[in-house]
Parts: sequence; C-alpha cells; structure tokens
Amino acid sequence: MKSPLPKPGEALEHYVSDAPYDPNSIENNQSDEGPLAQASQLKLMWWYFRQHRLALASAIFLVLVYLSILFSEFLAPYNLHTRNTEFIYAPPASVHIFRDGSLVRPYTYGQTMTLDMTTLRRNYTDNVNDIQPLRFFCRGDTYQFWSLFESDMHLVCPAEGGQLFLLGTDRLGRDVLSRTIYGARISLTIGILGVLLSFVLGVVIGGIAGYRGGIFDMVVQRMTEVLQSIPSIPLWMALATIIPLTWSPLLVYVGITVILSLLDWTGLARAVRSKLLSLREEDYVVAAQLLGANSTRVIKRHLIPGFMSHLIASATLTVPGMILGETALSFLGIGLRPPITSWGILLTEARSINIIALYPWLLFPVIPVILVILAFNFLGDGLRDAADPYK
Amino acid sequence: MITRRALLALLGSAAIPAALRANSDTALDSAFLRERVDSGELPELAKRLPQNPRVINLQSMGRTLGHHGGDLTILIGRAKDIRYIPINSYSRLIGYNEQLEMVPDILESYTVEEGRIFTFHLRPGHRWSDGSAFTSSDFQYFWDEVALNREIARGGPPVSLLVNGEVAKFEALDEVTVRYSWTQPNPVFLSKLAAPIPLTLMLPAAYMRQFHANHQSSDTLATYIEHYRVDDWVGLHRKLSRQNRPENPDLPTLEAWRPTTAPPAEQFVFERNPYFHRVDENGKQLPYIDKVVMNVSSSEIIAAKTATGDSDLQGVGLALPDYTLIKEAENRFPIKVSLWRRTQGSSVALFPNLNCRDDVWRSLFQDVRVRRALSLAINREEINQVLYYGLANESADTVLPESPLYKAEYAAAWSSYDRDQANDLLDQAGLSQRNSSKIRLLPDGRPANITIESAGDSTLETDVLELITDYFRDVGIALFIRSSQRDIFRSRILGGSVQMSVFRGLDNGLPSADMPPTQMAPSSSDQLQWPLWGLHYMSGKKQGKASDMPHVQELSRLLDQWMMSTHTEQRADIWARMLTIYSDQVFSIGTVNGGLQPLARSARLNNIPDTGLYGFAPTSYLGVYLPDTFWFDKEG
Repeated sequence: MKSPLPKPGEALEHYVSDAPYDPNSIENNQSDEGPLAQASQLKLMWWYFRQHRLALASAIFLVLVYLSILFSEFLAPYNLHTRNTEFIYAPPASVHIFRDGSLVRPYTYGQTMTLDMTTLRRNYTDNVNDIQPLRFFCRGDTYQFWSLFESDMHLVCPAEGGQLFLLGTDRLGRDVLSRTIYGARISLTIGILGVLLSFVLGVVIGGIAGYRGGIFDMVVQRMTEVLQSIPSIPLWMALATIIPLTWSPLLVYVGITVILSLLDWTGLARAVRSKLLSLREEDYVVAAQLLGANSTRVIKRHLIPGFMSHLIASATLTVPGMILGETALSFLGIGLRPPITSWGILLTEARSINIIALYPWLLFPVIPVILVILAFNFLGDGLRDAADPYK
Repeated sequence: MITRRALLALLGSAAIPAALRANSDTALDSAFLRERVDSGELPELAKRLPQNPRVINLQSMGRTLGHHGGDLTILIGRAKDIRYIPINSYSRLIGYNEQLEMVPDILESYTVEEGRIFTFHLRPGHRWSDGSAFTSSDFQYFWDEVALNREIARGGPPVSLLVNGEVAKFEALDEVTVRYSWTQPNPVFLSKLAAPIPLTLMLPAAYMRQFHANHQSSDTLATYIEHYRVDDWVGLHRKLSRQNRPENPDLPTLEAWRPTTAPPAEQFVFERNPYFHRVDENGKQLPYIDKVVMNVSSSEIIAAKTATGDSDLQGVGLALPDYTLIKEAENRFPIKVSLWRRTQGSSVALFPNLNCRDDVWRSLFQDVRVRRALSLAINREEINQVLYYGLANESADTVLPESPLYKAEYAAAWSSYDRDQANDLLDQAGLSQRNSSKIRLLPDGRPANITIESAGDSTLETDVLELITDYFRDVGIALFIRSSQRDIFRSRILGGSVQMSVFRGLDNGLPSADMPPTQMAPSSSDQLQWPLWGLHYMSGKKQGKASDMPHVQELSRLLDQWMMSTHTEQRADIWARMLTIYSDQVFSIGTVNGGLQPLARSARLNNIPDTGLYGFAPTSYLGVYLPDTFWFDKEG
C-alpha cells in the first residue's frame, strides 16, 4: 500500500500551479456590489461610529475641550493666580443682554461689597447704575503664550476698571472660571499622557506575554494579579508620598502621571495578551509563520492590526479612570500641589462645609469633571462597537 | 430632671436666711445625686462640702443664679482632647480670676513671705471625688514618694520645683497646712500652679498608694502591671496618676467633673464631682451642669455638626471662617455664637528653626537680616483684610494691646510691608544670586527653597501660608508646605529636619509682669524656633545644646534675672527689655494677632460672657470664666 506521505526525511511532494491567479479576484468581482464591500476597515469603522450619535457628540466635545487647553490663557478672562482682594467670595455675575427692552452688547452690573458685621458675610449687591459692557478680543492680564511671546489678548474681559466673575470668586478673590479653564490643562493632559504611557507598557508587556507564553507569561500574569488586587488609592498614596516636596510642580506633575500609569497598565496588558493568545492560533498567522515571517513581522503586520481597534477603545475607557485618579489624589492633598492647579486641586479647596453651605459656586469644577468623564465613556462605547466592523 | 417639688423647694430657698439653708440640702444638692444620697451611698451635701467652701458670688460678677441639671455635649476631634476638661474646669490650688488676678481656689488661703516661703492653707473637710479626705498627707505623699523617689523621678525632683538647682524644702505643718520654701525667691511658683496644665504638688494618696512599690507587695503590683499593660510599677504609677489626661476614671479628682469613661471610646462622659468645693452665693453646690458628654468626631466636621446644634459649647475645632455658617444656623437651631478674642501673640506665625540640621539654612536663619527680610516681605494688611475681615491687628509676634506690657513699637517692629528693604537685606545676607526662575541661590548653589512644616489642622493657616508663599516668591524665596501630624511635627522640629514651621504665635499674648517670661527665651523643647536650646534649659543643661547667639543668650540671662526678681517693677523692666530684643530680632515672624474665635453655645446655656479672651494661657480657654457656673434653661 502506498502511503500518501513521503518517507521520513524526504521532501514533501508539491507543485506550483501554472494557472493564472489573481489574489484580488474576489474583491474585484465585488466591485460592482456597492461601496460597503469596497470600503476599507477604517471607513467601515467610521460609518459604524457615526451611527452612534452620543459617541459622535462626545468626540466633538472632547476635541473642543482638548483644543481649548492650548489656548487657556486666551480663553480665561483672568490669569490663574490673579487675586482681587476686594471681591472675595463674590457670587457668579449674571450677564444681561437686554436693556430697556432692546438687545445690546452683553453687560454686567458693577457690584458693591458690604460686610455684614453680624454674620461676617460679604454681601454683594448689583449696582444697576454701573453698567459694565463686556469687551471681546481685548487687553487684560499679561501672560507668556506658549513660552514664546508675551501677550495680553483675551477672548472676553470685563469693562475697563470693572470685574467679570462669571462663576464667582474663591476665598482669595480668584476667578473660578479662569481657574477651571487652567485646571483643564492639567487634568486633561494627565489623563491622556497617563494612558499613553500605560498603553505602551500594556502593549509591550502583554504582547510579549501573549506571544511568547511560558515562564514570562506566568510571571506577568501573577504580577498583574497582585497589582490588581492591591486597593488602588492606598497604593497611589504610598507612591505619591515618595515624591520629594521640593520637586518643581512640573516634575510632580510628571511623577503623578507616571504613578497613575504604572498602576494602570495591567488591564490593557491582559486584554492584549488574551487577544494575542487567540489570534496567534489563527490560520493566517500560522500561514505567515510557515512562509518564514519572523516574530516582529508577525506581531506588527498580522497581529496588532487585528486588535488595535479594540485597544484604542479600551484605552479610551481608561482615560476617565486616570482623570478621576488625579482628582482623587489631589483632593486628598497628596497629588498635585499648588501653584499647579487641576480640577482636583480646585475641589479640595471646596470641600469644607462652609463652602457647600455658603459659597456653592466653588463646586463648579465638578461639572467639567463629570462631563469629560461621561464623554470619554460614550466615546469608548462607540469606538468599541465600531472596532470590529466585520462581525 | 428637676421635679416640681424640688423646684418649689428651690424657689423657697432663696427666701430662707443662710443659717437655715444648710438644712435644706435637697434644694442645694443636685437631683442627679439624690438617689445615691437616699440609698446612703453618698453622704448629705453638708458632709460632702468643705467646712468653708469657695463661694462664687455670681451676682457681683454680673451673672445669674442657676439651677442644677442638664448634659453638656461637646465635640472633640480626637480622644486625646478629653484633656480640655481639666483645663476648662480649672480647679487649681491658686487660679486666675476673670481680671487675671490670682485668687486661692482649692486653697482656703495662702501666704508668701520674701517671695520664697509659700504657706498653703487647705479647706478643712475638703474631699477628693471618691470621698477620701484631701489633706496635707496628699502633698506629703507626692513629695516623699514621687518627687523624691529615685525610681519615679530618675533625674531628681521636677525642674519646676528647683530654684537654681536648689530643691524646695517641704513641710506639712498640720493636717491642712503645707509649706514650700527656698533660700532664694521663686517668682514662677504661683503662676505655675495657676497654669492651664498646672504643676503637680499633690496626688490622692489613699488611692495611689496601692500602685506604689513602697506600699504594695510586689505580687499584687505584678498583677496590676499585667492588667494595665505597662512595663514596671513606675510606668503603672505614672499611667494611673495622670491628672492632666483624665484617662483613669478611678483616679480621684478635685475638678468639677470626674471622668467615668476609660479610653478607647467614642464618647466620654464626665459626671459632677459630688465633693466639689465651690458653691454659689445661695450655697448651691457647683457645677450646675450634671454631666459633660464629649463626642469624638472627625475634626473636619465639627463646624458642620455645631451648625446643626449637635454641640452645646464649642470653641475647639471652630475657626473664624466657620462663623458665618454658624451665625446663619442660629435661625434654624437653638444655638448662639459669639466672637471672642484669641490670646496668642500671633494667630499664625512662622518659626525659622535656628537649630535646623542644614548648615547653610541654620546660619542664614541665625542671621537677623534674613529673619527681618522675611518679616518685611509679608503684606499683613492684605492677610488681615482677606482672611480676618480686617478685624485683627497687624502685628509682629508679640504681646496684645490688651496686655499691660504692650508698647506699639513691639507690634510695629519689622512688620511693615516693604519689599524693597526685604530684597536689600537678603542681598546683603549673601543671597544676591538668582536662578532662571528668579529664585535666590544659597551660597552653596542650591535654590532657596524653604520647606515649611505645618501641623495641618487649620484651614486658616493654610490660607495664610498660600498668601505668604506669594509674598516670599516676590523676594525670591520659594516656600513649600508640608503638613504632618502634631506629634511628628514636634519631634521632627526637635530633630532639626525642619527648616521652618508654622504655628500659633506666643502662647500668652496677655502677660502681666508677674507672669514668667519663659516664652521669650529658650525654656522648652516645644519652642519651635530654638527647640534644642529650650531642651537644654528644660533638662537642667543635661540634654540639647546651649545657645551660641548673643541676643538669645541675653534673653536667657534676662529670664534668669526675672527668676531671681522679688518685686513687680523689676519684673516689668525685665519684660520690657525681653520684648524689645525679641521683636527687634524677629525670632518668630508674626502676621496678625487678636484674631477672633467663634464660640458657639446652646441657646439654653446661660452665664457665658458674650465676649472674652480665648486661649490656652493665661485664661485656660474657658477656665477663668468658670464653666461650673454655666447652667441650662429647663427644656420646654
């Protein structure tokens, strides 16, 4: 009986067909079946994503917010540390656009402060005769723009000699709106930078674990389990106290980012590993290996594109965690330190009972925190749905 | 609760002549104790009071006569704060009255001869809170078995009983008379007895003997040592005899309220001392209030809880920013809040650590130009306007205008806002180089970063620091704030790892010439600007280091001179010289003083003055205002 296999050691019988072969034949044949069949993966993802209205709106919102942090100095009516000691705990000013029944340039009323000596409360009353029209694209506090040049241009300023505290002022008479705008710069970038860092860590560590397997995989798995089982806040606190007090605020900022991402890569590493474990058994990977592709090429060309979209989606979902982490740390007084101002720092200053009862506008930074976190969650949701358009 | 019958009896008692009144014990005694008196557990009031109780004449003080009853609830931030009870209750051998004059309190009378012989006369029939007699033998016990006991007092008798190394001579003349004498004058002796945390001279001998090796078998002691988890009998004796920390409910006391709760606990209950020695002019035994209940809660929510009427008497844990909240709560809850003046020399003061381990900073801080420059860099007017509603005094860390020793020049010394002069002084002190971010460079090339240590329990302090950080940056000094816990705070400063600390200023901003000027010169390791020099003095030159700065040495010399002084003019002169040196040399950097302290109380609570001086020394917080005379309106 003749065995279908050659004897051990002999070359496998094979031949190469001379018949003409067009690797794109299927795609070409479908060329007239409409755009869906022709569209690239990215395009398909975009179409899917577009259907998710909330995600789309969130994406636009986030892009705007992130663009704003490039121009904080210009958008904020005041500088971060400008104190107006005559206007301490001033409530939010209301902007009027009608006067005597006709539409006019937006204006606010000047305010006069009286100190109520029985309650020691500063009362502000609108002075209806003192009309302070807002100025736009105007000169105000000077600042170094991007450390490049000095400028004093602001989007909106109070009238000459007037005040404009759209969200009130804090205990040192600093404008809450301006501080929130500046705070966005720190809070938002810490999220993105932290996620980028933990993304790199996660992909590299998880990638090696998933592709190589064996001892390394086991070590990484146990390590992630240990890291994930430690309650995160105490661990952050322990790491955050290591940061020397005399570090410049910028270094502290980098330090906090590193701490947040050092503890956050585990989830991503797991996702990468499990994806890799399943993908590396796929036929097309075996084919590539048989055709002699080395590990680097297999990972980069065949595996990563297969799960990148998933990764981006899950990374998006971890940004809110980072932002909340920073907020929590700063709130506890162990994260960033003044004079760096983040939303967490602003909220720390607003945690006493006095503030909640008497000066509630100081809690305003909660709103951007909530909005940004929600937006990131919707965006991540939409991305995840769109990530696998072929399903 | 007071029954209708008791109330009638009470109304009647006012009309009965004093001689007859002693018979109507039921009206003069608190109903709280009635049951125990009826069951025979406690003797009648007449047998519990000393033969000659201290009569507090309320009407002459402008206060009203009250009646017994009620629980006074107070909030505290941590269990340790039960220490406020012996401070506020302020039962002392000799104490200050509201005018800060010394009056005998536990003592019936006392005499001082040549400023060095002190004879104390006890009240015959005075008893500890457990009913045991309070006599000269309690002084004898403390003197022989504690102060002179080589095992308990390893380093010899407490330094406060020494004058230039000479131990006092103690005599128990008879059952109710004791005498302490030295060959040289001891002007601090009486004011130490009147202090918020007084010098101990007596212990309840009947109770304490059972824990003393000379009076107890070693087997019994061994079981006690195990039970109280201490190392040896000395530790046992010390632990059980602490009068300043009422943690041992069994320890008899002379205070108005005795502890009934042993820590750890979330709620501490103090009950009236049935043998307390003060009565009102009708003969009614004080305190009026039967029970003091201290609830431990987080110090951050004390203000919030006070504003919802959860406290009947609250000063601790409240700060000026809380006033508005509580004042507005007056409309919703039965509380009242008034503003008292704080007695500290400065509400928030900076203390450059002249003993810090960093050589460069130490020599800078010892340079008077640096200290003056830092003081001049502070804009006190802005601090006052922004954080104190402009109601405080802008001043160096010195005595308050209310003090008889006050001179305007002390408050004005180096306390104006003059950034140019500050910059000049710092340039002269060798800090003329600056780095790219305009921070000055130290002689060894490091940037001039000061880490300031804060005990971190006051938001007002944080706000002042935030402003000061800006002022210092304007003169090229970067300030970093580090907060730590109170206990660690002190030990880190003593260890020299802290460059500068922030705390309240001089403890006693209202001294008179007869109060010792210990706060103006190194005298205690608690002094934040020179802890090592203070330790040196406190330990009788055994620990710490002697000061090497001429002006500090001068202060120490003056302190020694004061300790030898015999009359008031001489003392006033020494005080004046010390105050001049202290404020001119800026050993601590003050901001504002006379800041206001909200004092919240239940609207039903009477006899609390609307204004007063609030502080640890000399008023012992509420001590000189006699909290035992506070009383509650009846409910409903």
